[in-house]
Amino acid sequence: MVSLNKNILRAILILSYIMVIAFILSGVSALFSYLNTGADRSTMLHTEIQNVEQYQPKLTWQPLQNEGRPMDEENLKALENDYLDAWYVKQMAYKTNTTAGIKDYYTDNARKNLYDFITLNKAKNITVEATTLHHNPTLEFFSEDGQLAILTDRHVVEYKHLFKAKQLVLETTETSTYKIVLLLEDGFWRIRHMVKEENAQYNFEKARISTDSLNIKGINYYPQATPWDMFGDQFSTEILSKDFKIIKNAGLNAIRIFIPYEDFGKANVRPEKLHKLKQTLDIAQAEALNVVVTLFDFYGDYSVMDWTLNQRHAETIVSAFKDHKAIIAWDIKNEPNLDFESRGKANVMAWLDQMIHLVKSIDTVRPVTIGWSNAESAPLLMDKVDFISFHYYEDLEQFEAAVKTLKSKVPSKPLVLQEFGLTSYSGFWKPFGASEEDQANYHKKIQELIAINNLQFMSWTLYDFTYIPKEVVGRLPWRKNAQKHFGFIDKNGTKKEAFNYITHE
Amino acid sequence: MPNKYTYLFLLGLMFLSSFALLQKQEPGNYEYLSKTTEFEVGTPIVLKFSAPNSEKPLLYCSNSYGATLIAPVLTSGALTYTIPENMNKKIGILNWELRSDFSTNSGSLTLNPKAEVGNMETYIGPPSIEAGGTDYTMLVIIPTDSLDNPVPNNTLVTETHQFLASEEANSIYTNNFIAFKNLYSKKESGRLLVASECLGIHSKEFTINVAAAIPTDFSISATRPHAYADGNQITTFTTSILKDEHNNVVNDGTFVTFFITNQDKHILKTTGTTIDGVAQAKIIHPDHEAQWEIKAYVEGMSESPSIALTYQQVINDFEVAFSDKNRTINVGPLQSFMGQMIPDGLHVTLHIYKDKTLVNSIVKTSFNGYVHFNLNPAIYTSGHYNFSIETAGKSKEFNTKKLW
Repeated sequence: MVSLNKNILRAILILSYIMVIAFILSGVSALFSYLNTGADRSTMLHTEIQNVEQYQPKLTWQPLQNEGRPMDEENLKALENDYLDAWYVKQMAYKTNTTAGIKDYYTDNARKNLYDFITLNKAKNITVEATTLHHNPTLEFFSEDGQLAILTDRHVVEYKHLFKAKQLVLETTETSTYKIVLLLEDGFWRIRHMVKEENAQYNFEKARISTDSLNIKGINYYPQATPWDMFGDQFSTEILSKDFKIIKNAGLNAIRIFIPYEDFGKANVRPEKLHKLKQTLDIAQAEALNVVVTLFDFYGDYSVMDWTLNQRHAETIVSAFKDHKAIIAWDIKNEPNLDFESRGKANVMAWLDQMIHLVKSIDTVRPVTIGWSNAESAPLLMDKVDFISFHYYEDLEQFEAAVKTLKSKVPSKPLVLQEFGLTSYSGFWKPFGASEEDQANYHKKIQELIAINNLQFMSWTLYDFTYIPKEVVGRLPWRKNAQKHFGFIDKNGTKKEAFNYITHE
Repeated sequence: MPNKYTYLFLLGLMFLSSFALLQKQEPGNYEYLSKTTEFEVGTPIVLKFSAPNSEKPLLYCSNSYGATLIAPVLTSGALTYTIPENMNKKIGILNWELRSDFSTNSGSLTLNPKAEVGNMETYIGPPSIEAGGTDYTMLVIIPTDSLDNPVPNNTLVTETHQFLASEEANSIYTNNFIAFKNLYSKKESGRLLVASECLGIHSKEFTINVAAAIPTDFSISATRPHAYADGNQITTFTTSILKDEHNNVVNDGTFVTFFITNQDKHILKTTGTTIDGVAQAKIIHPDHEAQWEIKAYVEGMSESPSIALTYQQVINDFEVAFSDKNRTINVGPLQSFMGQMIPDGLHVTLHIYKDKTLVNSIVKTSFNGYVHFNLNPAIYTSGHYNFSIETAGKSKEFNTKKLW
């Protein structure tokens, strides 16, 4: 017994010795690796370029007729960059009530004015989220030594959200004219004086776009192999031609496609993506299909500081294709009402409002709509859109009532049932799901209802898919699997029963 | 039953309070009572509205630099909003908006600068200009009031400047917050002193350097201790005084390059910078007879006519003695123009040929008038060699010398 105890004691001693050593070693190595961090030689020269454009409001220089030294492109570009950065740091400062970055873009005297505001708003628990959407600067003066410039920035469109104790108090869009003195200090153009000379409420002029000829009988389209990634590496014009023929031959006249925001390059839209979109539209035109282009797919930020970037994105796409014959309408955003809770209804609504205005200002011919996810949300912004789009995945029994309510709220604008469908999935994750027959009955029924209620429609969707990205419905298998079986054509390319009821004529 | 009354009383209270709540919700217009719309900066601004109920809506107001929300004070049926001090200090438009559920009131105030100048920021540049009347510097003045606001358009600013004997004053008027004037140079170079004044406030003194314009063509001369090509003395080139077309001496440090072309069309170069308009450059004499053509340039601006110099040969002949199995070669005495030993440092080159191919060239410099070459038997094995010895442009050949 004694020897056993001794052995136990020995074992404990040895073990504890090993543990102490291990602990000390790990401590020393942690310290060593800590002291080595930041010693990466590649960072020594600061060769990495970190130039991300955060703020890109539309800026149009008025013709250069300034006093003093003639302005050149280089200097004007530098001035423009720093001027916009000055606005950006100001917006960020007022949003967060911190002073970061102000020193770089405002001179000693001017920055005091901003600091005063920050102190005041911080004390009162006020935050201002603001952005500018339009700048029209005129260069008034450029000094002979190139160190001083004066601008008049006319009709700056400013959008502001003011919060008190995190509660939205006021939302306003103003146009103001500023006169600004800038000095070149330490290689930065810094604001020295800034004086608001004019101010007015900004009113969107609403151009009425005719929707009388609108007669959409269509379908939401994604290629079978690449759903939610239509313009990726596997983009193929042959597949599109083949699919568009099927849609055309089925008696439909329109498709709805989606432009993913990040995939297209955000504010700086990638030319190769635009080219693929053009090819798609050309093929649609060749098949005499009309296209509803849905912008901002997979985008969900809406924050005021993001607006200028969103607007450059939309501007590039809309101005590139505003003359394309295939496009019948612009859909600003798919199901934005689903973001009300997470992003704030006011924010999302304001974003949509501005975006409608932007798209309309570029394309004055085509109607604009928003793809609301249900009939209840569809009357939102009804004065701004040209026709109303809503999705319906609920019980067909309630459908007529929902349409009736919607019609009573929006009597004067065409209604498009922009998404509807039934999954024919029934399996392990959903043992009592609908069969292909149920799906066919569903489409038969809803086409009757569409005909009765004189609606235009776009069904969901042409194909059953085999792969659903997690961004679409999340990772849950019962959702993913359901989403795979909404098609009129199954994964082997065979037409399902529902295909017979793809339209009602 | 006192209980019953208590309940009744409570019920009554509830009813009354709901009535009060209802009354609070009653729509009402906030009538704007203040009438003044123009203020001088620094004066307290209070906006007054009639209060139709006891609500206290926040007032939005925004000026040149930012926006905020102001809480009111409710006194005897009127809402008063005091504009924060930092906002009444800055000129420009101050717009406000009062929104309730039922009405929106909005308006704007204009804040004007104080009728005074508190400070003048003066910018002048470029700080150095060229004489001659075509180049100019620009004076930019931003007068501001004591609260750092730019003054109104058409405020008089007096600009004064002094140059040599002249003193001038000009009246200029502000536009776009600034007053500016181009100050042209005169024919003379010198220092231009500039100052300005606005509403009794004076600026500092600013100095502009008016430098001479580019030099016109000039002449050069050479001085040397003697005309012999001894490879030892130094020739100095000197320019005339470099001046611009208005007779201003060019800036010190103007760079002059002297190009020397010898009889073989080879080019030597020496340079100097001006002091009081004169540049000097030096070069050592050649060690053999030479004819030099010298021309000077201020590159891209002006040049001199060329001058010629001749250097006479000093060593016409020299002796060569072979000894020690012909492995020691003594050259000398090398004598200069008066028979004196040539100063140390004259180059003597020995070319060694074997079977008509060059084996080696050895360069040595003279010491006390002599040069000694030693041919190492380990390198130069026994046999017949040809030698050629060059110095001071002369050469001597020794064929089929036997080394053993």
